[in-house]
Amino acid sequence: MSGVEVPRNRRPEDHRAPRPPARPWLRDLFSELGREPAGVAGFFMLALFLAGAVFEKRLVTFPETSSRWHDITYWDEQPASAPPVWTNAFAARKSAVSLVLGPSLSSRETSDAARLVTTVFTYPYPYDLPPRDLVVHFRGTGEIPVAITLTRPDGAEITLDQEQVSAGSGMDVRISIDKSAGQAAMGLLQGSESADAMAAVDVDRIRPTTVLFSQAGPGMLARPQALKGAYKLTLLAVLPTAAAEVSDPRLVVTGRVNGLLGTDNSKRDLWSGLIAGIKWALLIGLLTAFVSVAIGVVWGVTAAYFGGPVNWVMQRIFEIFSNQPVLPLLIVISAIFKPSIWFLIVIMSVFFWTGPVKTVYAMALSIREETYIEASRALGAGSARLIFRHMVPLLIPYAFASMALSVPGAVVYESTVSLLGLGDATIVTWGQILHDAFTGGAVLGGLWWWVVPPGLIIALMGMTFSFIGFAMDRILHPKLRTR
Amino acid sequence: MYLVFAIRRILNAMAIFVIEMLIFSVLFTATAERTLRAQIEESLQPEAARLKNASALQVQAFVAQRRAYLFHVSHLDQPVPVRVLWRAIDAVTLQFGNSITIKSSRGERSVWRIIMETVPRTALLFTTSIVLQVLLGVWLGLKQAQRAGGTLDRSASVITMVVYGLPTWWVAMIVIMVLAYMLPLFPSGGMHSIPPPQGLAGILDLAWHMVLPVVTLVIVSFWGVALLARNIVLSILQEDYITAARARGLPERTVLFGHAMRAAAPPLTTIAILSLLTSVFGNIIFEGIFSWPGMGNLYWISIEQGDTPVTLGLLAVTTGLYIAGLAMLDLIYGLLDPRIKTGASA
Repeated sequence: MSGVEVPRNRRPEDHRAPRPPARPWLRDLFSELGREPAGVAGFFMLALFLAGAVFEKRLVTFPETSSRWHDITYWDEQPASAPPVWTNAFAARKSAVSLVLGPSLSSRETSDAARLVTTVFTYPYPYDLPPRDLVVHFRGTGEIPVAITLTRPDGAEITLDQEQVSAGSGMDVRISIDKSAGQAAMGLLQGSESADAMAAVDVDRIRPTTVLFSQAGPGMLARPQALKGAYKLTLLAVLPTAAAEVSDPRLVVTGRVNGLLGTDNSKRDLWSGLIAGIKWALLIGLLTAFVSVAIGVVWGVTAAYFGGPVNWVMQRIFEIFSNQPVLPLLIVISAIFKPSIWFLIVIMSVFFWTGPVKTVYAMALSIREETYIEASRALGAGSARLIFRHMVPLLIPYAFASMALSVPGAVVYESTVSLLGLGDATIVTWGQILHDAFTGGAVLGGLWWWVVPPGLIIALMGMTFSFIGFAMDRILHPKLRTR
Repeated sequence: MYLVFAIRRILNAMAIFVIEMLIFSVLFTATAERTLRAQIEESLQPEAARLKNASALQVQAFVAQRRAYLFHVSHLDQPVPVRVLWRAIDAVTLQFGNSITIKSSRGERSVWRIIMETVPRTALLFTTSIVLQVLLGVWLGLKQAQRAGGTLDRSASVITMVVYGLPTWWVAMIVIMVLAYMLPLFPSGGMHSIPPPQGLAGILDLAWHMVLPVVTLVIVSFWGVALLARNIVLSILQEDYITAARARGLPERTVLFGHAMRAAAPPLTTIAILSLLTSVFGNIIFEGIFSWPGMGNLYWISIEQGDTPVTLGLLAVTTGLYIAGLAMLDLIYGLLDPRIKTGASA
């Protein structure tokens, strides 16, 4: 930051005082930023966002979030509209958490011609509210008769399901207790409830998991009390032929609370969605800001440099763009052309460039009158060289501040377009999540975990760049600095 | 002199409007005409059904003739560049045709009537909030500038930065969730209760429905006004004549309101009008969250229902209002600050 670099190619006969080259000036800007608390905070948050985008694969709970956000089947095992796991800490009655269990015990034995595969899952259940569903998964080949039994902590052994599974080669087999154990739950109820109470029960209306995880006894239907302890779920598969096979068994517990930030009504994990949205927000914000400010600076300088009719024409074109309310046009273009995210960035750049033009024009007018510009022209420098080599570099610090301050606008505009349901359906952005939340009734249903975090992260992204931009602004306009 | 300036500025605004309508026309003619053709075909069917005693051939001939006539009237039989020009002329002369499904409260299908019905509602909501924003913002900015670097100045600056990238519509969602759902203190949307009360009760009811949207707009936006006001007043307070005034021993109030505020009035007026414009056109979607039946809500509805004529009409009206607003801004500024007139619209 100290001293002025002497350009290596300076000719000895050049006796002018060295013009401050652009780069050290820029370095000064950044070193001064280090002394602005807001600037430091901004860069720290930017670093966090960049880290979030780079380590996305490690941070998300579901590795294919980015590509399969809109693919409903990918999210099938999740509970719908479930609050975050940590809400249990504040709840009087603890809800079962979603998790995936591997087998705690598995054995194979051969009797007659068939082979028997026994897999035991142990599910510790310390909660008050039972899971929504238990789903047994395995890879199966051929026709396989299976039986699933549940051993409760009170010793009761209940056969939940017996069926013949027909699977292709290594196909994923999925058996949902919620769908198949209705009769088993009825059996458990019959052992405890009076005949009168049973008469009113409809087998299709009861939730099997609620019954299976409750203490047996009269009233277990009306006021279920959780039966805590270790549950053992046994999957017994019979492999009748040599070709038949069962492998990779696991038990998916679909809880009532799920993940760091809960799920939406399409069972999607919101934490994964937010993390996957970081890279798009950064891309939209930074690319739009860079392209539009670059156009704006060059436009302003060129108009100021040439003056006369060129300036007149450039000013008229500028007026046409700056007299256009951007957001309504952006919305209408999105509604009619359904643009991809890249096209949207182009459209935003086309309309955002007018932001810095007026200031740049005024600054460039005064730079144009500097003696070194005149000297350079006298030495035979062309217009392009004067503009890009001598005028634009002086405006780069201003351009940086302007870029930082136009990032939030671009992010919010994309979110607004997405909020209307006009976003690019091949990606996931925070605005799209909020669109789903708004149309999915999250606002009036009080599903705060679906509404608060996406908006908060948009606000944080805006804050990051406004901290940086305002800090730069303060450095560049010392007159407004606090006394 | 002012008259010349005013006329030039108005003509300039009109020219910009015409050019933008031409650009829209180039962009959207294909979409607009697809709808127009569908509407003409639809109107032909009942006409043909009314010909009871005609043979199939006669009906066909009649339909063809009517179609040709209607196409001719809407210039659909012309080459593309001419059609683009005609669509632009339609927009400039505010002929937006009929909507597909949306109707005004009186059941009209005219896009112009539908839009004009919503404009006053939007104006009511945003003018109310802007008045509050400017009052609060200028007051806070003044306080900040008076003790620049003080606790108030610094904390207000931090809040300005914090709310800078905040989507107003998201704040609206949160406000509704908390104050209309969790604590049902205010209505979650709409402009009045159903059925709307009459007389004084009606006005109170309207005010009650306006509380949440207005408060949301104000708390998100007035920080920006405060920052601009602060910067303007602060740079004026550093002028020599302020130092001179203070040196003369004038009381601080006189210096502030007699000297500084007089000089700050034109830029502050600009801010007021400019923030009205940016607020209306940058938060247009916000109305949809509160189901406030203004232009923003109409954008939502027309896009959801795919009512292209209404969407395109809205865009033209919005753009026209924005251009008119900016022109108005320059005209008022010219009145307040005579120096600006010489620079005209250069």
